[in-house]
Amino acid sequence: MEKKVYLDNASTTYVSSEVMAEMLPCFNAIYGNANSVHSYGRDASAIVDRARDRIAHAINASKSQEIYFTSGGTEADNWAIRGIAHAYSNKGRHIITSQIEHHAVLDACKRLEEEGFEVTYLPVDSHGLVKIVDLLHSIRKDTTLISIMSVNNEVGTIQNIKAIAKIAHDYDVIFHTDAVQALGAIKLDVQDMEIDAMTLSAHKIHGPKGVGCLYLKNGIRIENLLEGGSQERGKRGGTVNVPAVAGFGKATEIAVRDMSINQQKLRNVREYFLKQVGDNIELVSLNGHPLQKVNGIVNLSFDMVDKESLLMLLDMEGIAVSAGSACTANSIEQSHVLKAMGLDDEKANGAIRFSFGKNNSKHDIDHCVEALKKSVEQLRSISALTKAGRK
Amino acid sequence: MYSNRILNRFKSPEYAGGLRGANGTGRAGNETSDLIKIYILVSDEGVIERVNFKAYGGVCTIVAGDCACELIDGASLEEALRVNNYSILQEMGEIPEEREYVGNLAEEAIKNAIEDYYKKREKELKKQGK
Repeated sequence: MEKKVYLDNASTTYVSSEVMAEMLPCFNAIYGNANSVHSYGRDASAIVDRARDRIAHAINASKSQEIYFTSGGTEADNWAIRGIAHAYSNKGRHIITSQIEHHAVLDACKRLEEEGFEVTYLPVDSHGLVKIVDLLHSIRKDTTLISIMSVNNEVGTIQNIKAIAKIAHDYDVIFHTDAVQALGAIKLDVQDMEIDAMTLSAHKIHGPKGVGCLYLKNGIRIENLLEGGSQERGKRGGTVNVPAVAGFGKATEIAVRDMSINQQKLRNVREYFLKQVGDNIELVSLNGHPLQKVNGIVNLSFDMVDKESLLMLLDMEGIAVSAGSACTANSIEQSHVLKAMGLDDEKANGAIRFSFGKNNSKHDIDHCVEALKKSVEQLRSISALTKAGRK
Repeated sequence: MYSNRILNRFKSPEYAGGLRGANGTGRAGNETSDLIKIYILVSDEGVIERVNFKAYGGVCTIVAGDCACELIDGASLEEALRVNNYSILQEMGEIPEEREYVGNLAEEAIKNAIEDYYKKREKELKKQGK
């Protein structure tokens, strides 16, 4: 059987057996509606409470009630941006975000612009970092919200979240961060980092799909997301997805518990991968910050090659990678992240994201690099672009 | 997203690569997104004896180049000039609508290659004083 290697863990991950074991009883044994007053409901509610406690503990929230479960990262991002902006619209109607945010943030901001809000999209440097000076210059008297992602999903650059949050508070502005790619990769301490609102998702950390949460610090106002129920303190109506929430809680607990050992593994895999690529393939460049990055994401540009063609050839060799984020991979447009970082067209067109998981081995990397070398050579041999003038 | 027909052709394009001795070269597109180059070797009788292509772009760009070559391989120049966007897309089979522009690119590359051949031929004839 053909060997298959999954190197798209920033898109999603498999559900771990520990997480599945946590979820399974919630499908048939403990199936009550967590909002019901009878014992079936109370049993389900206890599971939801436990998951909330686990997540709150993992990010050092002061209270478990600061965790609001959602259907995933996109919902939490949308809710944070729109809900906070509208709740504070009497104070001001200016929002600051960055050009490299996930579309769940960017599109929510675009919607706010249609509703009369003003949004500043901060540029980033060539490594994908927001410059603090740009942030300082963009804050206005009517700014109510700053939303900057903790870790970029395409290139893995880690933003200076603590510094950005501090500046936000110096100017009495609320700070939200999309930390979907950060959970389990870097330490998240909402109190130490002064985060007011934070988006998390389960399926990036070996939890189930379709569940995430918004951390919202006590005292921060937000407009309700869904009306029609008292769930999530009345802010997000709808019967709670108990199995998914249970899985999310367990996955978060494990991700934080095993972070140190997982990161060491990922660091080794990353370094081995970069060395093998460097030794075997020419005309390749690394996108993203060389040091201030998560270990699990490597974004490389292959000159003279188009990302879709390379992705498809790799897929035929059993290697699953991604061109940009999975949410935009079907689009033939270039990545907005790489464009914001100032990459030229050829480098942006030839950029592939490799994202490693805790179970990837050096053997997987060998298989990947072998297929990569073969595929890149094949595409370059028929490329209408030439090597002329290149080093 | 793509049919097996497209993917098989993409993986092993029959006409991929440069063509030594080509007497007509045509390109279409640009270096920033999609580029197709078609190389033709035309006999004195005006028949395309050999044809190859190079492409920079996605799956459909490469397959369009290959299909265009197949359609003009062995054809007279008059026949080759009748190959167009529609015949290339038909040869390719079903592709996503947003990728259908590749048919126009391949058609333009064929026409430019034939034009290049005629120009070179005219120059050569002038040189020979004919």
